[in-house]
Amino acid sequence: MPVAHTTFDRKTRTATVRVAGDVSLTTAKEFYGHMRGVARRRDVRSVVLDFEKAGRVDSSGLAVVSLAARMMERGGKAFDLVHLGETHRAALDLLPRDAVAVADETDHPGFVRRVGMSILDYQDAGAAFLALLADTGRQLLYVITRKKRLPVGALTDQIEKMGVDAVGIVGLLGLLLGTTLAFQGIVLLQRFGAGVFVADMIGISMVREFGPMMTAIILTGRTGAAIAAELGTMKVRDELDALTTMGVSPTRFLLLPRLLALSIVQPALSLMSMFLGIGGGMIIAALVLHLPPDLFWDRIVARITFGDFLHGMGKSLIFAWIIGFTGSHLGMRASANSTSVGAATTRTVVVSVFFIIVVDAVAATISTIGAHP
Amino acid sequence: MKVETRTSADVLLTCRDVSVGYEDKAILSGVDLEIVRGEIVTLLGGSGCGKSTMLRAITGLQAPLAGHIELLGQDMYALDNEARRVLLRRTGMAFQQDALFGSLTIQENVGLPLRELTKLPEPVIREMIRIKLALVGLSGFEKRYPPTLSGGQRKRAALARASILDPEIIFCDEPSAGLDPIVAAGLDETLCQFRDVLGVTIVVVTHELDSIRTISDRAVMFGGGKIMAMGSVADLEASTDEAVYNFFHRVAAERPGRAGDGVDRLHHARTA
Repeated sequence: MPVAHTTFDRKTRTATVRVAGDVSLTTAKEFYGHMRGVARRRDVRSVVLDFEKAGRVDSSGLAVVSLAARMMERGGKAFDLVHLGETHRAALDLLPRDAVAVADETDHPGFVRRVGMSILDYQDAGAAFLALLADTGRQLLYVITRKKRLPVGALTDQIEKMGVDAVGIVGLLGLLLGTTLAFQGIVLLQRFGAGVFVADMIGISMVREFGPMMTAIILTGRTGAAIAAELGTMKVRDELDALTTMGVSPTRFLLLPRLLALSIVQPALSLMSMFLGIGGGMIIAALVLHLPPDLFWDRIVARITFGDFLHGMGKSLIFAWIIGFTGSHLGMRASANSTSVGAATTRTVVVSVFFIIVVDAVAATISTIGAHP
Repeated sequence: MKVETRTSADVLLTCRDVSVGYEDKAILSGVDLEIVRGEIVTLLGGSGCGKSTMLRAITGLQAPLAGHIELLGQDMYALDNEARRVLLRRTGMAFQQDALFGSLTIQENVGLPLRELTKLPEPVIREMIRIKLALVGLSGFEKRYPPTLSGGQRKRAALARASILDPEIIFCDEPSAGLDPIVAAGLDETLCQFRDVLGVTIVVVTHELDSIRTISDRAVMFGGGKIMAMGSVADLEASTDEAVYNFFHRVAAERPGRAGDGVDRLHHARTA
């Protein structure tokens, strides 16, 4: 049975809509379609909604009646409700009288406005980042000059979480990277009878590039993301504001231990990765080329200079700061909702990896041009 | 609102010999309870008495350790998950921590059940949201995000979401906790309006005395691992049971250690 049936009086141009049965979630869609059809009729001047045979009217029914009233008003049609029962009246009393209907369309800024808003956002973010750098410098100075101190145990905790717990994964990946490089190098160099130079290739690659960079990429996903998520959650839970109101600097309390720990852990793990990568290459060279390990090591020692080593270690320190500052900056700028923490974490990984590769490329370019001007 | 005669259709919730708790440790046991259509029942008791755990059991969130819970005529925990979900769509729940989704606006939060569970046209959904938000006094807050609202406003939004599908029974966990008396009174008024105008049955877990006195048709007091007392608030207030009397007259239970004990203990330690 249809929820509504309409009769039309041509003389008075009145449509009478008789509601039958309950108007609830299951019938509201049909009722809405019916009322919309009546509202669109140009021959109708007035509409009467007859509740004589209507049953229960729930919120969805009320919403349709309210919408119908507005549709009729817009179309210049009179709208009346008749034969209302007591329960219908009580339900209709719930309709807001002065509440303004919510606009259907959402605010979509134009292209120029969007560009302008992004520029302002970047400007804000840049200013906040510089402020964070300055504050970190100031807090570090306080700690060095012993005016203030780091939270007890925070540095060792962070070193354990960021470094000791990551030894397995960084070591394994370093070893595998060394073996992969060795396989690739041997295939290529053997064609020219220069298989022994695989040691030089692996040594230079691991010390100058892959050791620091692979470690940095692992730590970005592991540590950078964790810093952003941790600080973001603290921001959402007002814990950062709590520190500020206590007069404790969030930079010194939270950021500095993480940054110092990363500055120790990243070079240490990079060093381990370098050695394990070289070790992996040494194993493959011994198995495939029958190159004695002592000869392999002699070539490494002869080929790699202290400058190469400094280049790799220096970069790993810069990578540590990129990871630490990006995670802290984006985590602390998370807004007060649950998705912003996830967004901050993802952005930390993307931005850190981007800057790590940019810095690596710049360092490679400068050092190459410097060596062969 | 007095309920004089009860038919089986009027009884919306029945608990028979229910025990609830965690792992195998029962917090409440032997709970027998009936809740009838159109009444507001408050579940009371001190902190840790098991009233929230009981609420979790009757809302399908935590199976009881023993006994049967019949919600809207169906043995809830005998149903499979899908059937239980269908049954629970006829109920609404307003959580203590409001449980609004922080990444959605208020109108998206309130309209979520409608968009997920019905095929209503979008204009009808928006109108329903508008009506419900006006009912809880949140007109104009449609596009705000939950973290930008006060505690009271968030609780009202949670109530609007709990009631958007016109449930037959609404469960509220500590609706006035953490609210100032004026906001709490406003929320109580809204709950009474839901009962009186929409005919909704409401079960409220609370220990706020003002709320209990304002909204309760019946009150169920838990304590000592069981139902300690049940009846109208007037009956409970007049109870001669010491624990019930203490609860309603804010008499603190005697604790084994009191301020000042420390000095005595130190004194004994020195002289021993």
